[in-house]
Amino acid sequence: MNIRAVRVEDLAGMQDCNLHNLPENYTMKYYLYHALSWPSLSYVAEDHNGRIVGYILAKMEEVDEQEGQSAINHVPHGHVTSISVMRSYRRLGLAKKLMLQSQEAMSSIYRAAFVSLHVRKSNRAALSLYRDTLGFTVKNIEEKYYADGEDAYAMQLTFEH
Amino acid sequence: MAPPILAQKDKKLFADLLSQYENRQLSKGRKTADQILKKYPEHGETMCMKGLILVHLGQRDEGINLVKEGMRKDLSSHICWHVWALIQKSEHKYEDALKSYIQALKFDKDNFNILRDTAVLQTQTRQFEGLVETRHNLLRLRPYNRHHWVGLAVAYQLNGNLAEAKQVLEHIEGFLRNIGSSNVEFSELLMYHVRILEDMGDFQSAVDMLESHDRAKGGSVLDRMASTEMKARLLAKLKESDADDEKKTAWTERADAAWRWLLSQNADGYEYYKGFLANQGIDLANVTDENREKALEMLRDYSNVQFATAPRRLALHVATGQEFQDLIKPYLTNGLTKGIPSLFADLKPLYKDSVKRQIIEDIVEELRATFATSTGDSVEPTTYLWALYLLAQHHSYLGRHKQALEILDIAIVHTPTLPELYMTRARALKRAGDPHGAARAMNDARLLDGQDRFINTKTGKYLLRAGMVNEADTIFSKFTRGGAPAGADLEEMQAMHYLVEQGDSYRRAGKLNLALKKYYVIQKVFESFREDQYEFHQYSVRKTILNVYTEMLKWEDNVRSHPGFIHAAVATVQIWVALYDDATLGPSLQPPETTASDVSSKKAINKAKKAARKGQPEVDGANSKKATAIQPEDRGLEPPRPRDDDPEGLKLVLAEDPLERADKYLTGLSELVPQNMDICFAIYDVAIRRKKYLQAVRMLTRAHSLDSEHPGLHSRIAHLRNTVSLLPEPIPAPVGPILAESIASLLPAEVSLELFNSQYLQKHFSSPMAIVAHAKVAQILKAPQDEVDSILFTVLKEPVQLDHEAAFAVLSYLKEMKSPRAEEFRIACNDRFELSTLFRSDEEIDALQKSFTESGESPADGEALETVI
Repeated sequence: MNIRAVRVEDLAGMQDCNLHNLPENYTMKYYLYHALSWPSLSYVAEDHNGRIVGYILAKMEEVDEQEGQSAINHVPHGHVTSISVMRSYRRLGLAKKLMLQSQEAMSSIYRAAFVSLHVRKSNRAALSLYRDTLGFTVKNIEEKYYADGEDAYAMQLTFEH
Repeated sequence: MAPPILAQKDKKLFADLLSQYENRQLSKGRKTADQILKKYPEHGETMCMKGLILVHLGQRDEGINLVKEGMRKDLSSHICWHVWALIQKSEHKYEDALKSYIQALKFDKDNFNILRDTAVLQTQTRQFEGLVETRHNLLRLRPYNRHHWVGLAVAYQLNGNLAEAKQVLEHIEGFLRNIGSSNVEFSELLMYHVRILEDMGDFQSAVDMLESHDRAKGGSVLDRMASTEMKARLLAKLKESDADDEKKTAWTERADAAWRWLLSQNADGYEYYKGFLANQGIDLANVTDENREKALEMLRDYSNVQFATAPRRLALHVATGQEFQDLIKPYLTNGLTKGIPSLFADLKPLYKDSVKRQIIEDIVEELRATFATSTGDSVEPTTYLWALYLLAQHHSYLGRHKQALEILDIAIVHTPTLPELYMTRARALKRAGDPHGAARAMNDARLLDGQDRFINTKTGKYLLRAGMVNEADTIFSKFTRGGAPAGADLEEMQAMHYLVEQGDSYRRAGKLNLALKKYYVIQKVFESFREDQYEFHQYSVRKTILNVYTEMLKWEDNVRSHPGFIHAAVATVQIWVALYDDATLGPSLQPPETTASDVSSKKAINKAKKAARKGQPEVDGANSKKATAIQPEDRGLEPPRPRDDDPEGLKLVLAEDPLERADKYLTGLSELVPQNMDICFAIYDVAIRRKKYLQAVRMLTRAHSLDSEHPGLHSRIAHLRNTVSLLPEPIPAPVGPILAESIASLLPAEVSLELFNSQYLQKHFSSPMAIVAHAKVAQILKAPQDEVDSILFTVLKEPVQLDHEAAFAVLSYLKEMKSPRAEEFRIACNDRFELSTLFRSDEEIDALQKSFTESGESPADGEALETVI
């Protein structure tokens, strides 16, 4: 499958892919916000017909003094808002490829110190991808992070500059 | 009458009023306004401000009336016009709001806030000439703010003044020079500059600029992927534009380095291979015998990059003959051993070449035989399973439904717990014309992995295809917020796939009212996409991220060319046309209670109201919660979402202007998707009924240039000529003669419709849809029903190639005409398409649907087995 940086005209396909795969969904404006703020951080995987079969939607958490954030957030870092691959396109390593492209952009363009993400406690496959394949570590557990009451692991991966 | 002039201390009060509004001290502001109005009841500006505050406080109608009254008292006040503009803007009437802002500027031309809002509205409404002027004014007021320079450059670019845009950018870069090499905004600005040079056709300067800012040499362009892509593309354009061989060689070398670097970063970027090969003169879409070996060699260089699949897959596309044989075998074996579920989808495009298709089939059959007989450790049992899985997809795709299903039966006996097998079974059944069995199979897959939303979504969709709307909702609701009903959440999340399927499902069931409601939700979704751009006009200029922003503007202009919108538009038009053609249809959709006694109709209305409220509580709740969190009394300027008093579309289908409504849905599509046959037909169908003859014939002329033999065109050409010939009076000049001439160019005047129709049939005797078109024209020519019927029945005979879809279209047409032979046709098809359930009797279909509901859910439901990423 073709891996490439997102374009505005992909966002509807990205939204469609997200709605097929995950229970956490967003309206178009949120996708636009990501694409128009950090155009190089989001990537898509498309099949031979140009259909989006996987995506990573990512952003930077930039230093924002007004909002009195915790110390860790004062370091510019990347954050994966959403990543998923359609079930019928799994086992191709697409999630990993998408993640690596986005991480590289976070680190090289924005000098991100690390990348963070949340994962459902019950999602063993994703957890294993982040931890075992990509080298993320669990920073803490955020209780009842998801709308249905499930806890999330907050995970991080530090970049080497 | 001139507005009253405030005394000095009252002027101070009015200033307080303004700042109280600015700080959203609404109650205080209202009191201040009242204080002024007590003394000066005719003071327009105060009336407008008070009106505005009332709107914020939730007294919308009263507030707006007061604003209007205040405007009448003082039409020369920029404050009054500004307030009015804010109200119009809140109702998304951007064109009107802009006019009010322009009025306000007449009386206060240097008002910064008004100018800033004007610029936003001019962008939103694409009035770029005015935008340039507004940006100039903003810059004049705040020349030291870099963002206003950026805003001017963007305005120039949007207005097509690229040279001016470039000049402004050079100026900005001049004073940003010292900003440092790691500034994202500066980097984006440079990339924007390069893009403008490219659009000006100055490829050489564009490349030079990229190279002088190359990050690898300490330059300021930070995004190496995007900039290298840009450079490679620019070099290709340079090569096209100049014939100098020496230069060409140099450019080729530089482009080669660029593509190689990009591939080193992303060896799965198909476009990079395309560019890499094109740079060496090889068109990947049309590889020739002369350059095939070179192409394969270039791909081979990358085929060992770890995890990269693109080079190996592209080689399959390029290779032929023995070379293909040698490459495909390890590719297949690898895919089967790893159990890659998308292997078939990946290979399918190769089937355009029938030789490759046969080779793949032979190899997989061979592998299957080997795997089936081999015992012990040599082959993993799962490899055998995936081979069966691939073969089933292969046969199903080629229309060999039985074969596909037999193989799947073997596979399911082998491993009854793999959801993919049931999903494929569902797809095979769907293709064979059994939507009911398909839905059940998909549900079987779902029961094996209840935590996977993908299968859940598929199950919902398949249920909708099988006409089981309630069951679908139950399934969907397992993943939507707040449980049932799923529709509200999916609508809010703009789930196009759901809205389209839901609308279609209602439509197939004849519930045109509910279908229309869904299609109008789709229209609303696209309206909200159009709205979404609004706040980026300001935001993107401030952030100086401009290439993607200008791409977004283009996307917004074309967003309604999305297939989901086109589909909904065509379906909506067809429904409106049906409602227009048959005036009894709308009333026939009304529930019996409303036409019965008053009491029960009241009940129905109450019930409908209740349902309407139920559909929205979450949305309303969310809004009010948000408002309370910020400022309890401020309800904002946006009008509250109107309550839907027709949730089932029962009033909608009684609308007295169906054609106008149809026409409205089609607005702009003729220009947006000029190549779309269905849109041509939809516009024709509305135009001819609205007696817009020139528009009608234009659409058929366009359709003719796209596909002159299309069955839908054949019947419409006949329809047009017949309609015009039956007019009681000829159409006067200039329309009449132009129309006659245009019709004649589609169908020469001397050819009778009978001849036209029989010639068409002779030409397309084996196509069932052509036979339907032929029958439609016979009907237009007033052929008796039995004659039309016998024409349609010929689809059942040799040599017509009838599939279940075409057969179903014929059956629907027979039913629509209330033909006495519809049932006979149904039975014939039911015998003929043994796997299909489309031709079962209504009772049998009811039973099929019930059997799904009664089968219930197995205890495994909701339990996760294993999810694999």
